[in-house]
Amino acid sequence: MSEETPVKAVQVKLVLLGEAAVGKSSLVLRFCQGDFNENTSPTIGAAFLTQKCRLENRIVKFEIWDTAGQERFHSLAPMYYRNAQAAVVVYDITKAASLEKAKAWVKELQRQANANIVIALVGNKLDLVSDTSSTPAPPASAESPAEDEEDSSEEPSSTPSPAENESDDARQVSTAEAEAYAKESGLLFFEASAKTGHNVGEIFTEIAKTIPFDTISPKPTTSQSANRRSGANNGENNNVNLGEGQQAKKGGCC
Amino acid sequence: MSLPLHLRSYREKSKDELTRDFFNVPLQASLPGPSDPPFVVKMRERPYRSGQEELQSMDINAVISVEGKEEVYAGRLSLLPPFLCFISLDRKSCRCTIPLYTIRRVERLNSRAGVFALSLATWHGMRIILQLTSLLPTAEHFAILLRDALKSQLAAMKQLKPFLPSLYSEYLLSSPVSSAAGQQQTNDHLLLGTELNEKAGNVGTEAESDLRGPGGEGKGIYQRGLGEQFGFPGDARKMRERSKMKLWREYFMIHGRNLTLLRYPPFQRLLQVGLPSRLRGELWEVMSGSVYLRFANPETYGLLLSQNAGKSSQSTDEIEKDLNRSLPEYKAYQTEEGLARLRRVLVAYSFRNPELGYCQALNIVVAGLLIYMSEEQAFWLLEVLCDRILPGYYSPSMEGTLLDQRVFESLVHRCLPMIQEHFVSVDVQISVASLPWFLSLYINSMPLIFAFRIVDCVLAMGVKVLFQIGLAVLKINGEALLEVTDDGMFINLMRSYFATIGDSAHPDHPDPRVRAITNFQELLVVAFREFNVITDETITAERKRLRAIISDEIEKFSKRAAVRNLKNIGKFSKDQIGIIYDHYFSAICSPEAGPSTYSGNAQPLSGDQFDQPRIQVDAQGRVETRIDHRTFRVFISQIATWAREETVTTNAFIQRTDRRVADHELIDRLFFAWDSQDQGTLALQDVVLGLNRVMTAGLMESIEWFFELHDKDKDGFLTKDEVIQLSESLLFIFRNEPGDIYLAAVSKFILNAYEFGDATAPEGSVDERIPIDGDKETASGARERSNSSAGPHNLPYLNLATFRMVVLADELLENFFANDLTASFQLEQTGDEDYHQAHQRSEGLLGGLMNLVVTNENKNRLNRLADGFGAALGKHAEWRKPALSKTIEPSTSGDLRARESLLTPAQQAGQFQRQRSSSAVSQTSTKTVESTTTVGTPDEKRSLADVEARYREESQMVKAAQEAVMHRPNFAIDAIGDSDDEEGAEGEGEEDVMDEVEAFLKAHGDDDSGLKGEQKKVAEDLLKAEPMGRYQGKKKESADLVDL
Repeated sequence: MSEETPVKAVQVKLVLLGEAAVGKSSLVLRFCQGDFNENTSPTIGAAFLTQKCRLENRIVKFEIWDTAGQERFHSLAPMYYRNAQAAVVVYDITKAASLEKAKAWVKELQRQANANIVIALVGNKLDLVSDTSSTPAPPASAESPAEDEEDSSEEPSSTPSPAENESDDARQVSTAEAEAYAKESGLLFFEASAKTGHNVGEIFTEIAKTIPFDTISPKPTTSQSANRRSGANNGENNNVNLGEGQQAKKGGCC
Repeated sequence: MSLPLHLRSYREKSKDELTRDFFNVPLQASLPGPSDPPFVVKMRERPYRSGQEELQSMDINAVISVEGKEEVYAGRLSLLPPFLCFISLDRKSCRCTIPLYTIRRVERLNSRAGVFALSLATWHGMRIILQLTSLLPTAEHFAILLRDALKSQLAAMKQLKPFLPSLYSEYLLSSPVSSAAGQQQTNDHLLLGTELNEKAGNVGTEAESDLRGPGGEGKGIYQRGLGEQFGFPGDARKMRERSKMKLWREYFMIHGRNLTLLRYPPFQRLLQVGLPSRLRGELWEVMSGSVYLRFANPETYGLLLSQNAGKSSQSTDEIEKDLNRSLPEYKAYQTEEGLARLRRVLVAYSFRNPELGYCQALNIVVAGLLIYMSEEQAFWLLEVLCDRILPGYYSPSMEGTLLDQRVFESLVHRCLPMIQEHFVSVDVQISVASLPWFLSLYINSMPLIFAFRIVDCVLAMGVKVLFQIGLAVLKINGEALLEVTDDGMFINLMRSYFATIGDSAHPDHPDPRVRAITNFQELLVVAFREFNVITDETITAERKRLRAIISDEIEKFSKRAAVRNLKNIGKFSKDQIGIIYDHYFSAICSPEAGPSTYSGNAQPLSGDQFDQPRIQVDAQGRVETRIDHRTFRVFISQIATWAREETVTTNAFIQRTDRRVADHELIDRLFFAWDSQDQGTLALQDVVLGLNRVMTAGLMESIEWFFELHDKDKDGFLTKDEVIQLSESLLFIFRNEPGDIYLAAVSKFILNAYEFGDATAPEGSVDERIPIDGDKETASGARERSNSSAGPHNLPYLNLATFRMVVLADELLENFFANDLTASFQLEQTGDEDYHQAHQRSEGLLGGLMNLVVTNENKNRLNRLADGFGAALGKHAEWRKPALSKTIEPSTSGDLRARESLLTPAQQAGQFQRQRSSSAVSQTSTKTVESTTTVGTPDEKRSLADVEARYREESQMVKAAQEAVMHRPNFAIDAIGDSDDEEGAEGEGEEDVMDEVEAFLKAHGDDDSGLKGEQKKVAEDLLKAEPMGRYQGKKKESADLVDL
C-alpha cells in the first residue's frame, strides 16, 4: 500500500472446505489468480492465500485457507475454520456423494464455527454439464485455453466439451435440490466453474456483501475501523480482481 | 466412516523396543514377503525370531577401540540379534550398529589376565576390539550368545556379496582418488565458501559431476536417485561437495562404511555441514536403519509392485491426483520418468500398509527422497519413517501429527513463554504454520538444499530435530512474532523468513567471514546449541503426558463426525445417537469381541477372519468400520436387557452385578435382520436404523417386527418350525423372569398358534391337529409333540394376522409387545467419556500402587473374599437379574402391578426355587447360595474377625488408591524438568561442534571424550594381541568370504 492511501482493508478470514477433488484449489486459484502459482504450494493441512477486492464503499481483504480435502485431514479443519467469518463449502455437481460431504461440513460449521459465519454452498464443475434449464452454461471458452488447462488440473483431460449434449448425464446434483437445501440451511448458493471462471467472482462478492462487518469485533489493530469508513475513497492500489467473474457472466448470458 | 480403534490399543514401548529403536534396529530382521497378509508384518507383539529358536538379547559393559584410531570409548554393548550395538557412556561420542552378517571373524584375544577381549573383523577388514569389562562369567555368557547369534547369520552372509554393489560408498572407495590439485582448489573454496540459496535443477554437467565426487550416469551399478540424471539441487561448488566427499572417504577408510559404519565424533560434524549429494541417499538409509530392511527383503519392493499391478484403490486415486503437486519445481517431476518413480513408491507403500494407505504430504517427502535415493531405498526409508521415526503422522486419524503439534506447543510454552503468551492473547495457533514443517520434514517450507540438511539431521538424530529446528525458527523470529496479530501475518512472516534463509545473517558486518554466515547456519546453531535441552526423553515424556488428551479428542471428534455423517437417525435425539455410538465403539474395543480384534497397531483386513471388525470401502470409496456378528453380540448385550446375563450377588457387605454377554439364536436373527445389504457386517447406520425401528414401535409394530424377525424367507408366513423358534425366542427373553406366568403364557401361545394356524394355514400345509391337553402344557412338551407329528414343518403356516390374533389373546404377551419389548432396549451412558485420560490416571504414574489394588484380578479376589465372608454369615445370595421386570420399575404402568410385586428381594429365593422346579426350559438355572468358588467358606472354622480384618485391609487399600487417583500430582512435568537439568549439564561438549566453517576442517579428535591412561593402553595392547581361540562357526564361514 502506498503512503497516500490511508485505506486499510477489512480482513475477512475465509475457509474453503469440501471433499477431495471437488476443485477447491481451482476455485481459489481462479479467484486469486495472478497472486499465486499453482505448482508451488501443495496442500498440506491448508494452503494460505490472500486476495483483496473492492466492494462498494470498502476494501475487503480475503485471507483464504484452502484446506486439504483428504478425509484424514478432516480432524485438522477446526484449526482453520476457527474465527473464520466466511466459509465456502464446495461440492462437485457431477458427484452426488460430494454434496453429502458438503452437508456434513455445513452441519459441522454451524455447530462448531463462529456463530455469525457466512457460509456459501458452491457446486463446482458447471462446465461439465450443459443443463440449460437451470443455469445456462457458458460456452467452451476459446479465449484462454491455456488457462483452462491450468485451472482444471483435477478434471480429466478428456472432459467432454460442455456444448455436447451427452454431458448432461454428468450432472448428479440438480440445481433445485442443492438450492433448496441451501435455502433451508440459510446458505448462500452458487453453481460455478473454476474452469471457465463462471460465477467465481460472484461467490466472493456476495460473501463480502453478506458479512455483517459492523458487528465484527475488529482485530487489535485500532486504526481499522477508521480506515473502513474512508475505504470508498481510494482503491487504486488494491487488487480488485473480479474480472473473471464478470467475464464469465457475459459468457453465461449468451 | 472409519473409527480410530487403534488408539485404545496403544501401549508404551518396552525397554527392549526402545533400545532397538535407539539403534535403528528393526524389530524383525526379515519381514514376510508381500504375498503374506501385509498386516502381519506390522504386529509389534511378535518377538524377534531367527530360524526356529529365539535368540537372546544381552547387554554388557564394554570398551571399544578401532584399529587405526586413537580414541577408546567405554560404554554399553548390546547384542540384539542379528545386530551388535554399542553406545558410549556419554550417549553421543561413539555409537554403532553392526549387523552380525558383516562380521567375518570373532576371536578372543590373548591378553593380560582379567581382561576379556574380543576382536571383530568385518568383511572389509576393519578390526574392532571390544573389551568386555563386566565380570568374567557374564562376559563368557555374552560371548556364547554372540556365537549363537553369529551362527544364525551364516545364510545372510552369503547375501552380502550381491548386495554391496548397490551402495555408493563401495563405488566411491573403489574409484581412484582425485588429483591433488583439484583437492587444493576445493579446499580453498571451503575456507571462503558461502552457501547460497541456489535454485534447484542445475544440470549435472561433466564438471559438476567431478565436483560431486566420482560417479554419475552409467557409472557403477550403485542405487541412485533422480539427481544423478536430472541434477542435484544446489551448486556443487558452493556446497563444497568435493571436499565433503574427500572427508567422507577418509572417514570411511577408518570407521567402516555403509552397513558397518561407526559413528565417531567427526561423523556428527560431517553430518551437520550437510551430506554430499551422491552419498546422501546411502547415508540416509544407513543412519535410519532402513538399509537393514532393504538387505533383508531384497524381493519385497518388486513383488509388491508386480502383485498389485493394475489394481486401483482409494489410495492410488489420491496418489494420482497429487503427483503433479509434488516438488513440481524440480526438473525430474516435470518428466514422466520422475513421476513414474514417485507413483511406484507411493503405490507400493499403500499396498504394503493399506491401513495407512496414502496421506497427503507423503508425496512431498517421497519426492524429496527420490532425488537422492533409488525407488527401493526410498520405499524402505518410507517404511522406517512411517513406522518408527514419525509414528502415527500419516495414519488415518493422524494422531501422531496431532500429538506432536501439541507437544511442540507445550515446548514453545516452556522454552519461549513470551511468544506462547502472545499467541494465546491474539488467538493464533502455532500449528497453522508448524503443521507442514513436521508433516513434510520442512521439505515444503524452505529451499530444498536447506530442507535436506534438516532431513540429514532428522534421520541421524531422530524426531527431536524437528522440534529443535521449529523452536529455533520461532526464537530467531521472536521480535517479529510478537507483532503478529492474526494467522495471515504469522504465515507471511514465516514464509518470508524461509525465503531468505540462504541470505547472510549479518549482512552489514565488517568481517567477511561473519558476513558469510547464513540465516540457515544460524538456525542450526540456535537449534542445536540452545535447544539441545530438547532430548528424545523430553519428547517421549511429553508425548506420554499428552497422548491421552489427544486420543480422547480424536475419539470425540470421530464420534461427532460419525454421528453427523449418519444419513438417517430415525427418531433418536443427537444424545441418544451419541450413546448408541459409544456402545458401538466400546463393543468393538471390548475384549469379548474377540481376542484378535485389535492387538497390533494395524487393523486387520484379511477377509477370512470373521471375528474382527472389518474395514470396508463404501460406495464412495471411503473406508468404513463395521462390526461382525460376534462384536454385535457384545453391542446388543449393552443395550438390550435380555441379551445379557446379569448376576446380582449380595452378601453381608455389598451388592454387585456381573454382566456377561448372552448367546442365543434370537441375537443372530437380529444381526441378520439389521444387515440390510447382506454384508455379513453392520455399520453404525444399520444399527441405528435397527434400533430405531424396535425402540419406537408401538404394539402392532412390535408384533410385526417380531414376526418378521422369525420369518426367514420373508414370505409373510411362519412355518411350524419358525413358530417353535419364535416361542423359544420368547422363552429366551423371559428366561430370568420370576414366577411361571411367562412360561404359561408362552405355552398357551404355542397351543393357540397351532390351533389358529391349522384353521387359517394355506392348503396343504396343515398336518394333523395337535391335541390340546390343557392349559398347563409346557413348552418342551409342545415342542416334542410337534416334532413327533410327521407333518411338514417348513411350509408356510402362520401369517401375520393370525400371529397378531394369537398374541393379543394373551394379556401378558400383549403387554410385552406393547411396552416391555421396546423398554428392554435401553440407552444408558457407557461412561467412556475421556476414556484415555481416565485410563492414564488409573495406570499412570501411581501405577505401582494402583495396579496392585485395582486390577480386575484383585477386584475378583476381593469379591470372592466378600462372598466368602457373606456366606459365612449366611447372607450371601446370588440371582439372575430379570430382563423385563427391571424395565418395568421406571415405567410403572398400572396394569403391571402384579408383576412388580414379584420383584421384591425378600421373595426372590422362594421364587427361584419354584421356577427351578417348574421350568425345564430355563437352562440357566439360578443358584440361591453359591458356596463352591468362595475363598472363605471351605474353612468354616476360621474366625470371623480374621476374615473381617483381611477385608478391611483390602478395602482400605482400594480407598487409598482411589484417593490417590483423585489427587494425582502432575509428575510428568517434574520429571521433564529433571532431565533438562541433566542434559543441560552434559550438553556442553556439543557447543563447539557447530562452530561454522572452521569446525568443518578442524582436525578431528582433540576434544573428544575418549578414554585416557590405563584403559587406553590396554586397548592399544589389544590391537597388537594375538588371537587365543576362535569361534568355530565363523572360522569356517570366513573361507567363503575371502574372495570378497
